[in-house]
Amino acid sequence: FPPAFQSIPRNPIVLDLAYNCIDFPVLDERKKKVQRGFISRLWG
Amino acid sequence: MAPKSKEKPKTSSSSHPPPAIEDLFTTLDRHIQRSEYEQAVKVADQVLSIAPADEDAIRCKVVALVKDDKIDDALSVIQSFHKLPIDLGFQKAYCLYRQNKLDEALQCLRGRERDSETLLLEAQILYRLGKTDACVDVYRKLQNSDIETAEVNFVASLVSAGKASQVEKALDSWK
Repeated sequence: FPPAFQSIPRNPIVLDLAYNCIDFPVLDERKKKVQRGFISRLWG
Repeated sequence: MAPKSKEKPKTSSSSHPPPAIEDLFTTLDRHIQRSEYEQAVKVADQVLSIAPADEDAIRCKVVALVKDDKIDDALSVIQSFHKLPIDLGFQKAYCLYRQNKLDEALQCLRGRERDSETLLLEAQILYRLGKTDACVDVYRKLQNSDIETAEVNFVASLVSAGKASQVEKALDSWK
């Protein structure tokens, strides 16, 4: 006495990966346009 | 910052025209980028008061509530828009899963395209239901889907299914 410690199996880790799939829509098209000419000059 | 003389009378809403929707979406997106979910819900509501069926606003509201851990509220919002042709089935299934209504959640996923997000959620539901063999099968389907850290759950399902001896081989063949 006292009894020796024993190892016990623990529950394996599970991640809530589905949570990461809950995502916001892309709002770029809905936002206020900022100076289209300038933007398109950069990326056009 | 010291308050400037410019005053913004926020309380008198009736005398001002409602803000343009594109301004609201600009604000909404800023709240989302800053993870200010409570604010995001408020702005989404503002959009919906002008455009009651706006799909982006509805989606933003639902997702913001989920991210803010208000699962019950998210679910009731989803219910309240169920007559609109907006597919919120995955979000609904996820909320049911979080409420531990596992059979309902599975039911909700039935008939959906079996893409990786659907498979991921299905596997998590099966795991909680203790249907570990079925769960292992679903994770095998996700093996080539390139989802980060999905192998963690795969290993858990193998161990729980009493197939711990297969873990090493399974991990070798992952990806």
